[in-house]
Amino acid sequence: MATLTESRKNTLRRAIQAIVGKSAVVSDPEELLVYESDGLTLFRALADFVVFPTSTEQVAALVRLANQEGLPFVARGAGTGLSGGCLPAEGGLVISLSRMTRIVEVDYDNQLAVVEPGLVNLHLSWAVGPRGYYYAPDPSSQQACTIGGNIANNSGGPHTLKYGVTTNHVLGLEVVLPDGEVVWLGGKMRDPQGYDLVGIFVGSEGTFGIATKIVVRLLRKPQAVKTILAVFDEIEKASEAVSAIIGRGLVPAALEMIDQVTIQAVEDAFGCGYPRDAAAALLIELDGLAAGIDAQAERVGAACVEAGAREVRTAKDEAERQLLWKGRKSAFGAYGRVSPAYLVMDGVIPRTKLPYVLRRVNEIVAAANLRVGNVFHAGDGNLHPNILYDPRRPGEEERVVQAGAEILKVCAEVGGSISGEHGIGLEKMDYMPFIFSPADLATMHRVKEAFNPRGLCNPGKIFPTKKSCVEVGPAYRAHPIEEQGLAQRF
Amino acid sequence: MQPALLDKVRGIVGSEYVLTGVELSPYVLEGRTPEAAVFPGSVEEVSHVLALASEAGVAVTPWGGGTKISIGAPPTRLGIVLGLRRLNRLLEHEPGDLTATAQGGITLEALQAALGARGQWFSLDPAFGREATLGGILAANASGPRRHLYGTARDLLIGVAVVSADGAVVRGGGKVVKNVAGYDLPKLYIGSFGTLGVIVEATVKLRPLPDDDRLVLAGFERLKDCGQAVRLVLTSDLIPSAVDLLDGEALRGLGLAAGAGVGGALLLGFDGMREQVKWQCEEAKRVVSEAGPVEHRVLEAYAREETWRLVREVGRRAFADPAAVLQLAVLPTQVTEVVEQAGVVAQRNGLKAAFAAHAAVGVVTAVLADGGDSAQPVIATLREWRELVRAAGGHAVLERAPLAVKEQVAVWEPPGAAFRIMERIKAQLDPKGVLNPGRFVGGI
Amino acid sequence: MAHASTLEPLASPHRLTMLEGVDEGVNTCVHCGLCLSYCPTYSELGTEMDSPRGRIFLIASLAEGRIALTDSVVSHLSLCLDCRACESVCPSGVPYGRLIEAAKAEIERQRPGGPLRRLFRWVNFDLLLPRPRLLGLAASALRLYQRSGLQRLVRATGLLRLLPGTLSAWEALLPELPPWGGGTLPEHVPARGAVRARVGFVEGCVQRVVFGAHNQASVRLLARSGAEVRIPREAACCGALHAHAGERQRARALARKMIEVFERASVEAIIVNAAGCGAHMKAYGHLLRDDAVYHARAERFAAKVRDLSEYLAQRPPVGALGRLPLTVTYHDPCHLVHGQKVRVQARQLLQAVPGLQLVELKEADWCCGSAGIYNLTQPEMAGRLLERKVNHLLATGAEAVVTANPGCIIQLALGLRARGSAMKVLHLGEVLDEAYRRGGVGEG
Repeated sequence: MATLTESRKNTLRRAIQAIVGKSAVVSDPEELLVYESDGLTLFRALADFVVFPTSTEQVAALVRLANQEGLPFVARGAGTGLSGGCLPAEGGLVISLSRMTRIVEVDYDNQLAVVEPGLVNLHLSWAVGPRGYYYAPDPSSQQACTIGGNIANNSGGPHTLKYGVTTNHVLGLEVVLPDGEVVWLGGKMRDPQGYDLVGIFVGSEGTFGIATKIVVRLLRKPQAVKTILAVFDEIEKASEAVSAIIGRGLVPAALEMIDQVTIQAVEDAFGCGYPRDAAAALLIELDGLAAGIDAQAERVGAACVEAGAREVRTAKDEAERQLLWKGRKSAFGAYGRVSPAYLVMDGVIPRTKLPYVLRRVNEIVAAANLRVGNVFHAGDGNLHPNILYDPRRPGEEERVVQAGAEILKVCAEVGGSISGEHGIGLEKMDYMPFIFSPADLATMHRVKEAFNPRGLCNPGKIFPTKKSCVEVGPAYRAHPIEEQGLAQRF
Repeated sequence: MQPALLDKVRGIVGSEYVLTGVELSPYVLEGRTPEAAVFPGSVEEVSHVLALASEAGVAVTPWGGGTKISIGAPPTRLGIVLGLRRLNRLLEHEPGDLTATAQGGITLEALQAALGARGQWFSLDPAFGREATLGGILAANASGPRRHLYGTARDLLIGVAVVSADGAVVRGGGKVVKNVAGYDLPKLYIGSFGTLGVIVEATVKLRPLPDDDRLVLAGFERLKDCGQAVRLVLTSDLIPSAVDLLDGEALRGLGLAAGAGVGGALLLGFDGMREQVKWQCEEAKRVVSEAGPVEHRVLEAYAREETWRLVREVGRRAFADPAAVLQLAVLPTQVTEVVEQAGVVAQRNGLKAAFAAHAAVGVVTAVLADGGDSAQPVIATLREWRELVRAAGGHAVLERAPLAVKEQVAVWEPPGAAFRIMERIKAQLDPKGVLNPGRFVGGI
Repeated sequence: MAHASTLEPLASPHRLTMLEGVDEGVNTCVHCGLCLSYCPTYSELGTEMDSPRGRIFLIASLAEGRIALTDSVVSHLSLCLDCRACESVCPSGVPYGRLIEAAKAEIERQRPGGPLRRLFRWVNFDLLLPRPRLLGLAASALRLYQRSGLQRLVRATGLLRLLPGTLSAWEALLPELPPWGGGTLPEHVPARGAVRARVGFVEGCVQRVVFGAHNQASVRLLARSGAEVRIPREAACCGALHAHAGERQRARALARKMIEVFERASVEAIIVNAAGCGAHMKAYGHLLRDDAVYHARAERFAAKVRDLSEYLAQRPPVGALGRLPLTVTYHDPCHLVHGQKVRVQARQLLQAVPGLQLVELKEADWCCGSAGIYNLTQPEMAGRLLERKVNHLLATGAEAVVTANPGCIIQLALGLRARGSAMKVLHLGEVLDEAYRRGGVGEG
């Protein structure tokens, strides 16, 4: 934070070192630079310190120090977020949880585990896999993202269609509150008394404190899994197939759509077996009992063929299944092969509005003279239009941001939401009024006051409350949608 | 309450929807009679009534079907009972979206009937669906046996409209199944017993109606064997929608036990495609056989529905005149042991007790039979049960008990360290403390 | 109120002129972070400066002139193992290996290090490695040093502590050298049976001196596969170690020599049994991309390079495999699995051996810490990674670990020895050669 004097910075550094030790604090400008963005490079903000605690006590001591010094602080997991949620918007401390990665306890009989927040999502499933269990929420970044980060964002993933999002799998949290007190919310037992503080904490984007231990449910691996690829020559037909499948009373474990731009990028990346010439493909997974799974697969196949699929095939073995999923889950990253940057939107719509909204998305992006790749959770109605652009071309970033805003407006108009899993963060603060009234926002703000009255814990996020201090592009400027009069800051 | 205020309320909702005096007898709560019962016919009316009450500082107790009204400490103030039964419309149901939006006062039965006509259902099955309202179910976080597979209100509610204490209409969540925009406000209202706002609309996730639905009942000599059977089921390939456990007393009380030698039973629900349900019933028989059942039945259609209904209503039906109901939560692996010990405690106090559990999630309903003239054995038993649950690291809520007992046994657990956050949330959302005062955890 | 700020661009003198061609590479990175958990140094330290994404960001910032090559930047870039595990998982296809080598070259250009370090590098990179005979002589001296007891004395007296860090690390890494006379390979080895191919074989510098037996086994396998093998004496050193250490000019000179030598040998494939050499030679095209005379020749050369396992999987040796009752595990050398994407071949070859049982190693494709000369330049991190690797090795319960790179063999042997383990470290070629020898058909 440019406003800290050198001597104050030195004092603070010594105080931080006294808590975490010398090797657990970073304050060189070059090193801080690495932490200026998360998975969304559109926004940048520099911290004064990045700190690496290894225990709840250290996190609590850091938070108390921040309170004493009036220093803002924000927790960071793997920095794979896509809304700028873990950026130090007002400087101060970034509390990295990357050294708190333990699995504290696994209780197979009660189907739960206690983990630290820095644990990589997929590593939990790896650890309990040999005993036949797994952790269900599977964000596409699960190979890198942390469970603490998942808590902040209430992360979803392809399989949330059947199994729900993060909040449906969290039983309890040990939390360092914004004033430094350590409390448990919920626990290992069901139906904790009082308000559902676990429920409100999950998805609060790091503004209610820092989770330092997490009790999660573990699920038994299903007896059978079937993964079906349905290939379409028109994206419209693929979206109709989605409703057709749901309409037949089938609830697949996952129902994903991937369009041609994206197919070509992931085929370049890993050669996953998606047909390059297809306009769109649906990746449909059924799981559960072996009994009846073939019949379900037939019903899914029939629904796709009726909607106009040119080809429907089932992954013949686990290797092919993994490869198809690798393609799906690597899609965002793979855009790097076709474009130097992309902005991923995360709107949600009622499933039945899919054909209409996809058409509108294409119109909006075409009107802005940009390209878009679509890869998303079709079964949930959770769209991910990825608008491809080159930040080095003058004016392009503004057009991208504006097109994104228009897409989210469309989502809001059809009764949807502006974010299904990535969170509001810095990116979508100004779009909150698209779907929430001043009374709705005021209520959220009051809840925030209850947790975070001083506002030191991850300030400047979620609410369109004041001028942002964050760098957008090369220097601060009004958000393009402000200029368009689509939103205003207050 | 000032007569002028009452007149204003009549002006808002119409005098036929304002009850006073002797008409209030159904709304007597813990021995106290409210000043009025008001039944608004629209969200706007709810809003106006609340704004008025809030301004005047009159307490408001939201009331759905009244099926869970017994939960809670005696109210510190009782002004207006706000009945929601007129807000009973299904507002939106698009089967292709697998979601529905309904008003808070719709009964579960009416909701299910409307959804069922279009091949879908709302997968929450608490007791007394004929009377229980959607808003009330959410506010009380009521659930039933199928929570095992389908979860509770927090897993199914995706959007909510509440009228806050000052009369503002606040919406949280939305109408789509995935949504992380802003704080997850719907969670806050679930299980808040009307202390933060009045739920006037809810949008929920739906499921397709299953092709087939059966109940497998396996009876065992000892409760311990039931526990073993539960573990066998949980480590098998079976995917039951319900895993309930009843002790011998509950079985007899509900009229479900065939023989006197049955000390407990495991009730498994299986629903889905016909082929799957058939396989599961057969596999369940095989899996459970290792625990040595003395009885095995597969129930369908009416027999199945009736059995589930009785099980859900165990708190009212285990005994002709139950003295108290304690709902407790422990780890699933602790269920049979806690139930056995609790049974011993009751016996020692000279009381009969019955137990029903959602065994795989560790939620147990413990019912105590009436002990005669003195409340003392009931009080002693409940206190010991509480200790037992606490020793297991769990928690318990006194769901139903006479006032004399509630005066001696706390309804809720003493609040923990996080309570100050709850107090602050309450203070933020209901600064004047008009919503259902005194009934909730820690005196909120 | 602009608290957050980005760094001001640096004055032009600081801008890096030598970061050739990194623009395209760094722009391919979309900052998704999927590489983080696969990076050994990030995994150990949790600091993003020590992750692939972070290093790319540093390199980009260097190239843009946002930062200068400060001590801390140097330390983070130097800590990279160049194992390229990130490349295997990068969906964007960032050519990370090229970026980090360009950055290391820039570091070498700007800050060649202290005098002792320079001397050490000169002895190794300029003097010994490219000159097999001198290296052999040095090895003889080493043998003498080991056998004479001088080594024990030096270790016991703590004399090593007086040496600069990298030198004492070098000492600890000295393999127990086989007695002199492991034998030099002839320049021409005929095929066994019908001639099916003519291939070249790269003896390598370290490999030739330290692990002559591996080379002999490899060549016997090639001969069995029907290959007539050319082993040009002048093919000295491929330059991989130089390139990884940022010694680009030296690396290019060595590459040009290799190309010339093998052009003269006119072979259809160039076989190498050291993964680091193989990966480097496959990238000669990039290394010499600006060399008008050599670029096309380098591409042709690179297209012919095959790892031993890659080649044998396609053209299996003729003859029966004998029984080799041994439980082994397989460690993927980084520059084979990530650098060349050769993962399954060695496993397939091993699994074909009767009696041999292959146990999968946890994190088999993680760097052991050897990483060229990394264990010399970054002994602490190398030690941590080795510890992690050895833990996983011991957990397999295997009798031997098989791998295919001299650096890995030295490192693993060192780690196992330090833990008092009797687990053997074998080169894939040795194992296969032994199996065919036991097959016994026409063994001469």
